[in-house]
Amino acid sequence: MSWRLFDLMLWAAGYTVLLSGISIAIGLTLGLLVCAAKLSTSRLLSAPATVFISFFRGVPLLVQLLLIYNLLPQIGIMVPSVVAAILGLSLCTAAYQAENLRGGFNSVPKGLLEAADMVGLSPWQQLTRIRAPIAFRLTLPALVNEAILILKASSLISVVGVIELTRMAQNLAASTYKPLLFYSVAGGLYLVICWTLAGGGALAERLTRTHRA
Amino acid sequence: MNKRFLMKAILGLSLALGLPLAAHAEDTLAKVKSAGVLKVGTETAFAPFDFIDETGAHAGLNVDLFDEIGKELGVKIQWVALPWDGVLPGLEAGQFDMVAGPATITKARVERYRFTVPIAEATVALLKRAGDDTIQKPEDIAGKLVGAGKATAQLKQLQDYGKTLPKPVETREYVGYNEAYADLAAGRIVAVANSLPNIAFVAQKQPDTFAVVKPAFGQPSYFGYIGTKKPEDQSLIDAVDAAILKLKKNGSMAKLQEKWFGTTFDTPDTVPTPKV
Repeated sequence: MSWRLFDLMLWAAGYTVLLSGISIAIGLTLGLLVCAAKLSTSRLLSAPATVFISFFRGVPLLVQLLLIYNLLPQIGIMVPSVVAAILGLSLCTAAYQAENLRGGFNSVPKGLLEAADMVGLSPWQQLTRIRAPIAFRLTLPALVNEAILILKASSLISVVGVIELTRMAQNLAASTYKPLLFYSVAGGLYLVICWTLAGGGALAERLTRTHRA
Repeated sequence: MNKRFLMKAILGLSLALGLPLAAHAEDTLAKVKSAGVLKVGTETAFAPFDFIDETGAHAGLNVDLFDEIGKELGVKIQWVALPWDGVLPGLEAGQFDMVAGPATITKARVERYRFTVPIAEATVALLKRAGDDTIQKPEDIAGKLVGAGKATAQLKQLQDYGKTLPKPVETREYVGYNEAYADLAAGRIVAVANSLPNIAFVAQKQPDTFAVVKPAFGQPSYFGYIGTKKPEDQSLIDAVDAAILKLKKNGSMAKLQEKWFGTTFDTPDTVPTPKV
């Protein structure tokens, strides 16, 4: 057994991080938009957001991936494996992140906004200086949590033809007949990646806590 | 309000499902040749046809044979590896031009798919733990727990055979055959039912762990590659058939079979009428 196999595991871990990272970034952006729509007083905006959230939160990610990969080509939209994987992960995490963010925005104390009205801050100033920073700080632990969940859920994307960390471990375990070794390596790599994510989250929490008086 | 949206969503989905009729048809062989790439869907957990070898490289009869087929067609092969239960849906969705696998040519599949000419024998036999004296012949699995791959023709044959025994065979379905072999080695099941070329390869690689139970119990059957029955795909499968027949005639096929199975098979030159 050669060291090349461990290179392959590292390469697959990198691919897992890359695809999850892209999906989390897209999902956060999309989640922010969905959250804004959901919080809107206009039914025209909040109703589609509700449908979006209930669909992508209610259908298992595995089923979403299969639908994207196998259903979209039927209506003439070709989705390569990697695109289907990123799309599935992004849409799913966007629904969860929108709800996390909504919780944050709803937890901003009303008194602060009333005070802001009194001193004459515009709605935009209230958003950028009061609501968004507080909501972000309140949501941060949940967002890190969601990022870790997506990273681990990315093991499902092999079903649309992407060889990520778990699938690579399965393949190598099968060809070398050493399942214990390769699943342990995969588990260790996931652990290291999640620690890094959690560490980054803790750092961000510390930085946002001390910022401004 | 919510109800109306639900209705719209259902309407949208049913429209989406109905639309494939509108998709335009372009000859697949011409498309493949102009792109210079033949996209082949497969599962990399079906040694010796298709697997990841000890160096981490994609290997097996499929890789060698499709290299030759690619040369005949003048195109490169692009592999798409999925779990087996995702391979045929992917083919129908048009994610790849054809499927390697290979798959046993069965009555049910012939209804829905166009097979290439056979590339190997697929008759089903049993793999047991080396030194397990309780299983000497296929009938000895009566009343015992036997594993096979989910959604495979081998599983179907095992179930049919199980019904003919005095005590019914209990079956356990696995996502991939490698998991079934692992459970056999661990003693959770007493045997694995799979096609002879596959289990012969496994037993030959690990003679201390596994042994083949002879004779094969299944109906004689063959492995072929798979395409769709869409009219635009027929030219491609015709061309692949011609390439395979040419490789059979010039002896390359026999050499590849010898390399991967340690033996050669006498396979028909046309798709046989399936018995299973």
